[in-house]
Amino acid sequence: MTLTAEDRATLARLAALMVPGGAGMPSAARISLQGAPLDRVLAHAPQLSGPLGRFCAAARDVADMAGLDAAAQADRDGFEALAVAVGNAYFMAPQVRHAIGYPGQEARDASVGLTAGDQALLTPVWQRGRLWRAP
Amino acid sequence: MTDRTEVAIVGSGPSGAVAALELVSAGIGVTVLEQGDWVPAEAFDGARPEWELTQLKQWHPNPNIRGRPEDYPIDTAASDVNPLMFAGVGGAALIYGAHWMRFMPSDFRVRSLDGVAEDWPFGYDDLAPFYAYVEEAMGVSGEDGNPAYPDGAPTPLPALPIGRVGRRAAAGMNRLGWHWWPGSNAIPSRPWRRLQPCVLRGTCGTGCSDGAKATPDRTHWPDALARGARLLTGARVVRIETDAQGRASGVIWVDRQGARHRLAADVVILCANGVGTPRLLLASGLANRSGLVGRRLMMHPFATVAGRFDDDLESWVGPAGQILTSCEFYETDASRGFLRGAKWNCMPAGGPQGFRAGYGNGPLTDAWGPAFHARTRASFGRSFEWGIIGEDLPDPDNRVRLADDLTDSDGLPAPRIAYRVSDNTRRMLDFHVARAREAMQAAGAVEIAETRLIRDCGWHLMGTAVMGADPETSVTDEYGRCHDVPNLHVMDGSTFPTSSGMNPTATIMAVAARSVLNLIDTRAGLEVA
Ligand SMILES: Cc1cc2nc3c(=O)[nH]c(=O)nc-3n(C[C@H](O)[C@H](O)[C@H](O)COP(=O)(O)OP(=O)(O)OC[C@H]3O[C@@H](n4cnc5c(N)ncnc54)[C@H](O)[C@@H]3O)c2cc1C
Ligand code: SF4
Repeated sequence: MTLTAEDRATLARLAALMVPGGAGMPSAARISLQGAPLDRVLAHAPQLSGPLGRFCAAARDVADMAGLDAAAQADRDGFEALAVAVGNAYFMAPQVRHAIGYPGQEARDASVGLTAGDQALLTPVWQRGRLWRAP
Repeated sequence: MTDRTEVAIVGSGPSGAVAALELVSAGIGVTVLEQGDWVPAEAFDGARPEWELTQLKQWHPNPNIRGRPEDYPIDTAASDVNPLMFAGVGGAALIYGAHWMRFMPSDFRVRSLDGVAEDWPFGYDDLAPFYAYVEEAMGVSGEDGNPAYPDGAPTPLPALPIGRVGRRAAAGMNRLGWHWWPGSNAIPSRPWRRLQPCVLRGTCGTGCSDGAKATPDRTHWPDALARGARLLTGARVVRIETDAQGRASGVIWVDRQGARHRLAADVVILCANGVGTPRLLLASGLANRSGLVGRRLMMHPFATVAGRFDDDLESWVGPAGQILTSCEFYETDASRGFLRGAKWNCMPAGGPQGFRAGYGNGPLTDAWGPAFHARTRASFGRSFEWGIIGEDLPDPDNRVRLADDLTDSDGLPAPRIAYRVSDNTRRMLDFHVARAREAMQAAGAVEIAETRLIRDCGWHLMGTAVMGADPETSVTDEYGRCHDVPNLHVMDGSTFPTSSGMNPTATIMAVAARSVLNLIDTRAGLEVA
């Protein structure tokens, strides 16, 4: 099932309620979440489009958080799909990742191992001695 | 036309890989049947931004959610816990956390020490050389000298970094005077044989896109294939065949196009895990004189306590993998109101979505709307969890049967699970959750959330073809040889008499190595079909 233009317009309004701007963070509207970011989500999670379309169709008149809450109570799975789509579309956006200081699951050097400070933390553990129970 | 092999192995996960490599190295012909396919490292999403999205479906550990034809569905309507697994070359290890724990000495002597369940036919000291052997193959990283083990549980490679999360958690444990130790993981901290060094991407649970995590497709299969093993993928075994004397004579399998084949074999080894193995034994009507095939399923009920902190812990950094472990409350203390115990593992919180999943139970307005950014800033990168693996004692009513109204993509009956978490386990988890809250408080958490029993936690599948000396009360002998069918063997976690409170793969592989070496040693006297 593909989302209609009307579904996307509804989703844009719902996303704006869910993710307003502020605190140095872009709003959902600012990143046009209902466009390319949503397409990216649906390309990897096509299973969301059915419940998402259903939820948007039922939530056309929702105008505030109280209305969204009521729609969510009426269709938990639909709201879950909306939350997953909005959350992932938002947090995959490069400008959002930059704003929260998240480099993504980046590669780092693991060979540094335990530091001298870590070894010092361990000292009391081995000083307390044996823990295992003799069989 | 009937194909022929000396040994047919069902399943290419860690246990099947150990069995195949040893057999073929001893010059014995092996054919392995695996219902899944090879999964190349590039297929995993760990290094891509979509990682958190695809773990909800494509890389979800529950086969019912993935819904792929190569997995089989599982009827879990009568189960408190969903069994989790993955069909592919390497088995569930492709998506395992690689937490590497030996069982404790007491785990092999539960009846003698605590008067419940059964002792194992062998002990920690018997298994120790086999642990060391498989740990070499798996490139296990850890810190030697862990006082929770008699020999300190040495590992071939030094520990992975514990990072800010580990330091924070460790400081809390030290404040309480409780045991912790840097995590041991089947993840190399240095280049190791065919494994790349870990780059701490922290996506181990959805597959390692960097070729670091030790999985049998890298650690075992290249050598086994080079030495002549034959591995058939997309090959689902339907049943084990027997001859007129009741000995296993081979297997019937079905390919992805639905065509049936017969593979004749002198010996059949089941390595299909604690659900797949009893499923096949039940479908074949074999080895069940004791009535215990499929019974005593143990899955390790799991609880978590997550803490949020004021400072930046970079809690998306891996491994995931266990950063720390604790065995402080592992052993039985009857004054706590339950028997046996649990092991803890400290885990990072993952990306921004993983974190939200952990705290997503509150009202909508707490998570979205004006609160959304404040919540993200206060929480993201600032949290970790203590996971609690509770020892699950065997109960004959916790069992795998064949479903009469659910089939896999080949029309074969799916497994149906009946499984209830016992009162002992519930009391155990309550106690441990309370202690883990204290550990979080001692570490300085400003907010603590707990989940007492996660439904999607059946990572560890054990007990459904129990080993023992008496054919009336066990399915196999101590080497996994079926009492009723002497050339049919079980070499996965199905044979475990008890489950311990430890992640089981180290023990599954060590026991498989012990069993297959015995099979090789005794094969001259083997009865074959
Ligand atoms: C998400 C997740 C996380 C985990 N994390 C950890 C961890 O951190 N530490 C740990 O110790 N353990 C962990 N485990 C458990 C670990 O993966 C298993 O203990 C281990 O894989 C068991 O190995 P096995 O070879 O016995 O079975 P499996 O790995 O399950 O392999 C069995 C294979 O048999 C195949 N098969 C089954 N039936 C048939 C059939 N009829 N015909 C053909 N093929 C068949 C399956 O496709 C599969 O590939 C985890 C498991 C999961 C799912
Ligand atoms: S943390 Fe290491 S083992 Fe885990 S996925 Fe990343 S690179 Fe692979």
